[in-house]
This record gives sequence, structure tokens and C-alpha cells, in this order.
Amino acid sequence: MKLNKTLIIFILIWSLLPLGWQLYTSFSTPEALTQPFIFSPNRWTFENYLQILNSNPPFWKYLLNSLIVGLLSTAITLIIAVPASYSLSKSNNRFSKLSKLFLAGSAMFPYVILFLSLLEVARKFNLGNNLLAICIPYSALSMPLAILLLTAAFKDIPKDLEEASVLEGLTLFQRLRWILLPLIKPSIASTAILVFLFSWNEYPIALTWISKSELLTLPVAMARLAGSSVYEVPYGAYAAATVIGSIPLLMIVLIFQRQIVSGLTQGAVKG
Amino acid sequence: MNYLLLIPATLLLLLVFGFPLIRYFWLSLHASSVLTGLEPIYNNGANWIRLISDGRFWQDLYQTSRFAVFSVGIEMILALVIALLLNNEWKSKQIYRSITLLPWALPTTIMALSWRWIFNTPYGPIDQILNLIGFNNLNILSNPSLAWVGTVIADVWKTTPFIALILLAGLQTIPVDLYEAFRLEGGSPKQSFLYITLPLLKPYLLLGLIFRLAQAFGVFDLIQVMTGGGPASSTESLAIYSYLNAMRFLDFGYSSTIMLASFMILIFVCLSAYIVTITITNNFRRYKL
Repeated sequence: MKLNKTLIIFILIWSLLPLGWQLYTSFSTPEALTQPFIFSPNRWTFENYLQILNSNPPFWKYLLNSLIVGLLSTAITLIIAVPASYSLSKSNNRFSKLSKLFLAGSAMFPYVILFLSLLEVARKFNLGNNLLAICIPYSALSMPLAILLLTAAFKDIPKDLEEASVLEGLTLFQRLRWILLPLIKPSIASTAILVFLFSWNEYPIALTWISKSELLTLPVAMARLAGSSVYEVPYGAYAAATVIGSIPLLMIVLIFQRQIVSGLTQGAVKG
Repeated sequence: MNYLLLIPATLLLLLVFGFPLIRYFWLSLHASSVLTGLEPIYNNGANWIRLISDGRFWQDLYQTSRFAVFSVGIEMILALVIALLLNNEWKSKQIYRSITLLPWALPTTIMALSWRWIFNTPYGPIDQILNLIGFNNLNILSNPSLAWVGTVIADVWKTTPFIALILLAGLQTIPVDLYEAFRLEGGSPKQSFLYITLPLLKPYLLLGLIFRLAQAFGVFDLIQVMTGGGPASSTESLAIYSYLNAMRFLDFGYSSTIMLASFMILIFVCLSAYIVTITITNNFRRYKL
């Protein structure tokens, strides 16, 4: 048990260390950056944070963009995935097995391969530099996992319950709204958070679809901040941006840890 | 009526997953680059012939496989250890889980840059500590024979939590009574791990393995931000190479060919990984490990 405790503390430190280093860096003056282990009274500064908050466009804009994209993609995904999952959960034959196989395959697919073709679509229909348009591929890419999770949830509902409500004369919409959806709320929550995290963190599509600096999402903005040169990255300011950019996710993980875990593991068990 | 509900999802999936693959197949048979004014012209499979004789493609295939094998291999072992640890009854279980989950939840680009800073020469902590104990700078990310190790470390840090959670879910499906009964029959902890835990964990191990292999084979964000494929293309992956072909060299035909080829290789790799794992675990007892 003693050994286990030591190991787990080691793992926790390992998980937090890179973030901790960013936090430490973010409060360091440029001089202190060159000598990270030499402590002098004037090595601390807020300058990096001020620089990030006063940049143009201001840093919170990227957070806002990511938030918009994340929320909208989650909404679209759920609106399309819920009916589809309901329908799949009703069909218990070769078709549902086959579609499950396809969905699991696409959920595992390294989607970066798709970027060129998606970029062509964006150019053809003029969807570039549009935060609302980018939610379409995001929703589609999250769709397989969402349908797998929600289908499994619908299947867990006892059949009698729905049959009774059919006898009561409820329409499909009423049944979904008042009986079925409340029952699968936990799965909807897990799905929503996983879709949100995916859209918030997505890089290759955002990189190719969006070029206007005021429309960048957080991951692309951060990569751009670092520039293309290996030698001129403004690490102090960058670290401050990392810290600010990580706070929303830190809160999401702390608050929704249970939903994230159950989403991932449900996906594993049922998919 | 029921099937009508499937239409929007099906259309969206066909547009985003189906159409690109067909489009790539078509483009891979055409020259479509700056030279043709980006107009596709049928070129008799010249892209595929070029691919076979392209040293850079084979080099990148080797580098991608090296990255995938090492990072996924280390991740699987580490994740199993973490899952076994987290499966104990801890007072602050929820917090432990949240913290181990954190690296996975943060954007890859952000953490890739953080790792670049950690590996920085000479100001990063690793080189600073080495200097303090009197060694020279390690120069990890600017050394063509070492840079890939840096990307593997960052990837292991980032994605181990994901596999660990899947394995943890698997561990929690194993009834405690089973271990109890096995112990009463005189089985040692090592045997109970080999004869109960591993076989019952098999589907979860397989899932983690296949999923991560597929993702690692398509690695893009991490390398693009951490090293940009350098130094001297030594960390370039297939996804980066096809990205360069499309966005920098503006050769869509060849870029599509690379992507389609990597997709086919990926399917082959995942199928073989599946078959090999099944065969090994099915013959577990015979090997008397």
C-alpha cells in the first residue's frame, strides 16, 4: 500500500508538472527565463499576463470563439444524433450491427486525413473564415461517438415504459420530450461534454478553414502565437496564455469529471 | 417513419467521412497542382508510381510507425499500471482521477508548445538541470536522431490518461469475488493477474490499442507544433507530409495519394494488431507465462 501511494503521487506529479512549469514560467521576467533555477527577489512579474490581455485581438476573443464553436457544435450534434440514435435503438437486426461497426470505425478514424477534402468543400461553398460553418464538420466528426453512446442509452430503457406511453396516445415527439430524454439525461451530458472538448481542442480543420486573426479558435491562436520560428517564441507571454487558456478546461474537468469518465468508458464498453 | 430520423446523420456522415475518401481516390489518379493551374488532369497513375519511388514517403512511413509503436507501446503499459493503481479504494479517488485526466483534456497544440519549452536548449528545465550536474545540453528537439524521442514523451504524457480510463472501466467490470475465490484456491497475486485480470481485460486492451494505434498513425497536431516535422524532417509524419504537399507545394493530387495510402496502411496495421493480440491472448495459458 505504501508503494502504491508513492506511485500514485508520482503519477499525479508527472501529470501536473508540465502545467506547473508553464505557471512558473508565466510569472517570470525575461531575464529570469534564462536562469530558471536562480532565485532573486525581482524575478517575478505580471508583465506576461498584461501583454496577453492587451494584445490585438485581445486574448479573451479566442476563448470566446472556442466557446461559440464548442457550444454550437454540441447543440448541432445532439439535435441530429438523438433522433438517429432513437431510430437505431429500435432496429435490432443486421442493419443496426453493421451501422454500429461503421460508427465505431469512424470514431477511431484519424480524421486529420480528411482535412484536404473538407477544405475543398469549404472553398467551394465559401465556408472559410466562418465560425458557424466550422461547426458542421465538428458535429459530423463527433457524430459517430455521440450516436454510439446515445443508442446504448436508449437501449437501456425498459420497453414497457415506451409501450405504455404509446397506449396513452403520446406522439413520438412527446414521448421523446417527456419520457425518454429525461431518462437518458446522464448519457446526454457525457456526450455533450465530450463533443464540447473535441470542438474546443480541434486543430487541423480550424487551421485550414480560418485565417482571419479575430476568428481564430484557441488552439490555432496559440500555435500562431508561437510563430513558425523555433527561436523566437515569446515563452513568457506564451506561458501566460497557456495558463489562461487552461483554466476553463481545468474547471470543466474538475466539475464534469464523472460525466467525462462515464462517457469515455460507456463508449468503450458499448462501442 | 423510424428510418427517416436517420437521414440527417447519415447524410452528414457520408459528406464528411465518405465523400473525402472517394474524392481522394479520384484525385490520386489526377495531376492537380500549380503546374496544371489546379485543374485536375488524368495522369495514368503517375502519382502512385511517384509514391512508390519517393524516398521521403518511405522515410515518413518509417518515422510514423516508429512514433506509433513506441508511444502506443509505452502508453499501454503505463496506462495498465495507472488503471490498477486507481482501481484501489482511495479516499480522494475523484481528485486523483481528475488530475490524471487533465493532460488528455487540454488542447494538444497548447501542450505541444509547453513541451517544446521544457525541452528548450539551453533554457528549458531539462537542459538546466543537466547543466547544473555538469553535463552538456541535451539539445533533444534540435538533434535529428533524438527529436522523435521528445515527441514520444509528450504524446505519452498527453494520451496515457485516456487508455488508463478505458482500462479502469474494464477493471471495474471484474467481480471482486473472482479474485477472492482464486485466492482461496491458493492462487498467487501474480497468477490472479495473469489468469483473471488480463483475460477479462482483453476487450478493453484491444480497444485502447486499436484506437491509439489509429490516432498515433495519423499524428499531426503534436508534431506540427512541437517540431514542425524537423529537424531535417526527422520527426515528419505521413499526415505532416501530405499537409505540406497540399498547403505548401500546392500539389493536391499527390497529397491525396499520400493520404489514401496512409489510410490503407492504417487499416492493414490495425487489422494485424487485432489478429496478433487475439492470437497471443488466446494462447496465453499454453505459454505458461
